[in-house]
Amino acid sequence: MSAAKTNGSGDSGASKATEKTEKTAKAEKISVSVVGGGAWGRALALASANAGNDVLLYTRRSGVAEDGVRVTASLADVAAHAHLILLTVPSPVVAEMARELGEHLDGRHAIVHGVRGLVPSARGDDGDLGTIASVLRAETPVRRLGALGGPALTEELHAGAPSVLVVASRYPEVIAATQRALANSAVRVYSTDDLLGLEWASALTGLLAVAVGFAKGSGAGAGLVSAFMTRGIHECARIAAAAGAEERTFLGLAGFGDLFASIGEEARPEIRLGEALARGEDLDATLATLGQRVEAVELAPLVSAFAERRRVKAPIVTTIASGILARKPADDLIRALMVEPVGGGA
Amino acid sequence: MQAPIFHFNEQREELVRAVVERVLAEARDPIYLLNDAAYHEIRRLESTGGRERDELPIWRKLARTLGSIDDPGARKLLRDVIEVHARDVAGKFDRRVYMFANRVLPASLSIFLSPQVLVQNDPLYLLRGGPLADRVHTGGPIDRIRKLAQLGTVVYVPTHLSNLDSPVFAYALESTRLPPVTYGAGKNLFSNPILSFFMRNLGAYRVDRRLRHEVYKHVLKAYSCILIERGFHSLFFPGGTRSRSGGVERKLKLGLAGTGLEAFVRTSRAGRPRKVFFVPATINYMLTLEAETLVDDHLKEAGKARYIIEDDESTRFGRINAFVRKLFQMEESCVVRFCDPVDPFGNKVEDDGRSYDARGREVDPRTYVEPVLGRDEVVMDAGRDVQYTRELADVVMRAYLRDTVAMPTHVVATAAFARLRAKFPNADLFALVRRKDEIAIPYVEITAAIEETQRRLGELEAKGEIVLSPAVRGATGAELLKDAERAFDGYHSSPVLRTRDGGVALLDPRVLLYYQNRLAAHGVAWGGGLSR
Repeated sequence: MSAAKTNGSGDSGASKATEKTEKTAKAEKISVSVVGGGAWGRALALASANAGNDVLLYTRRSGVAEDGVRVTASLADVAAHAHLILLTVPSPVVAEMARELGEHLDGRHAIVHGVRGLVPSARGDDGDLGTIASVLRAETPVRRLGALGGPALTEELHAGAPSVLVVASRYPEVIAATQRALANSAVRVYSTDDLLGLEWASALTGLLAVAVGFAKGSGAGAGLVSAFMTRGIHECARIAAAAGAEERTFLGLAGFGDLFASIGEEARPEIRLGEALARGEDLDATLATLGQRVEAVELAPLVSAFAERRRVKAPIVTTIASGILARKPADDLIRALMVEPVGGGA
Repeated sequence: MQAPIFHFNEQREELVRAVVERVLAEARDPIYLLNDAAYHEIRRLESTGGRERDELPIWRKLARTLGSIDDPGARKLLRDVIEVHARDVAGKFDRRVYMFANRVLPASLSIFLSPQVLVQNDPLYLLRGGPLADRVHTGGPIDRIRKLAQLGTVVYVPTHLSNLDSPVFAYALESTRLPPVTYGAGKNLFSNPILSFFMRNLGAYRVDRRLRHEVYKHVLKAYSCILIERGFHSLFFPGGTRSRSGGVERKLKLGLAGTGLEAFVRTSRAGRPRKVFFVPATINYMLTLEAETLVDDHLKEAGKARYIIEDDESTRFGRINAFVRKLFQMEESCVVRFCDPVDPFGNKVEDDGRSYDARGREVDPRTYVEPVLGRDEVVMDAGRDVQYTRELADVVMRAYLRDTVAMPTHVVATAAFARLRAKFPNADLFALVRRKDEIAIPYVEITAAIEETQRRLGELEAKGEIVLSPAVRGATGAELLKDAERAFDGYHSSPVLRTRDGGVALLDPRVLLYYQNRLAAHGVAWGGGLSR
């Protein structure tokens, strides 16, 4: 831990004083490590520090600083600092990061990730999709795993505005620890034991957000956008259920909650991508302009193929995969969805 | 060093006492537990006949007493109830019978059942165990398991197809010089005239699956846990009951096997950690003794299938005799394959008893039972352990698939059933199994289909996803067909396959379904007949 340097507002003397008052006021101060210095990781680290915890943030970027959060570039420090680790790296680097981190972890650690995405299953050839938790399970000795999702927006969380998160874990202990790590006067942390459901919901709402952006960009009215979202959530819930998730998770904060948040968030890359595609702009050019990875681009065809293999009807996801991202004209796509046979469930 | 089971009888009284003390100490609400026991027992006894009914007045009286009893009084009563059940559960181990039964198991069955066999064969030759070595084959990391049995308690969790599984497994342990095990056997098996002989004497304790009340569950759990804590190697069938479909278990509740983890937690907490090693295993038969009863039960309308079957082939002398004859006639007719040992958290365990994660890094099992937040100490946490156990069940199931041994009967049934489905593409499961002796598949076609199945299995084996029995590896389609026919011939109550007029007639699709189901979870055989 010696390599960790203190960042943020106070000098070491002042932070010690703060520590003392915190200790007397709240006996249950805990240690938390956050891995990933992106906007989301920094927001979580700050929320945890605001909850009065001793937070260490791992990042390879330079110049990252948050109030009351120490920063390190050593994974050994991360493991030594806390048994609870929040992981917020982009999904393509999760495996590599986990393997490296795994060198320092043991069975006592818990990892709670806030990564949106699914990965092709380890077997690779069966068209199945694996969750981030399954990657962590394969790459580290850690069993006590969890995930964060829900409607909290990075900027709002970072600004200390009232925010709502959901933590999912099959381990009650992990839920309790995450709540202690993050809940403060401005952050509420709901919980579910449907880890798989939350992971699928986080990934698939990202997909649906592209469709929502696309519908908005095509000039669809509020009624149609709403229909899109509702049918989309139900469709995604069915697909995820085929993977073993609970459908009802999609109907709560991790599904609907997350998707509703995305329409309000104009800055969300999925929405902007959908809108740009609706205007007929080029996919690669748009992605370059966004300067950000959009998970949905790679995920859509995988999810569509998964649904087909499991014989789940998925017109919206298929439209996203083979229509929107393939830049077919917006009007044609909406028309095609409108002539889909109407099922019983509304 | 001798396995603890050899000293079981000396410890038996003390063991019962330890069970009683633990269950009593951890009983939070004795009146509730007594009420629960009385309620379930009265309900059960009212609907049974026979001598058991004599217990009815005792329970009724107990139920009446509970209204006016204080806590100390209830604890005293509870102690009695616990003790009665603990004694009922406790088994007896007879070393001489163990040695005897294992050396001669199938032979003794034949001798026992059929005087002709005794006359025809030299009994001393059979007793030497020579011919048996060729019959029950064993495979897997046996040397490692033998080492681990010295370092901790081994908990075996094999697949479950037949009532012969436990004697066969006990034989496999003896023949590979692995220490014997204790295990819980269904109480109904003790009333089976043939099996009870082995059950009583192989270190089995009795599990009465009709008893549903909590005191009994606590007693069973405590009993099994204390055995593991004390180093008694144990055997559990985590499928709970024999696979009705013939398929490899796809859903496991580790149930009592979960006490392996509890034993590790308790001993670690007490500062004398007892390592616990789980060893999944597959028991593979060319023929399953009770195939017909099981598959019939499987095919019955949902919900009507019986959990406990008391009148199957394993209760009939003639059938067991026929089965044993088959066992002697065929090479490789039964294979017990041990899988890689794992710790209670699913980590691989090496010869030295240390645990390694999926990336080969050593990890101390104790760290899994220390809290994420809080002090460095081992804590009991039921919610946590339920999940560890669930994840262990997944590890066990994957091991089952990898170590399933494909036999000629499975391969031939898979190919034959696939041809049957091709002939009736629109038929559902029930329509298919009714197609008795309706089609004959041209010889060339069936042998080609068998070879195609064999080729696909070969690909899976190359990826480490299944094991082919030597009889399957490298054999021609014709040879496999002949092996399977020879195995089926005269064993099942009605013929399964018959070669005639240049074709193979499918006489009993339901038995074919049963044997092909063994390969269904691997995606090689049809999966539509597994669950309904």
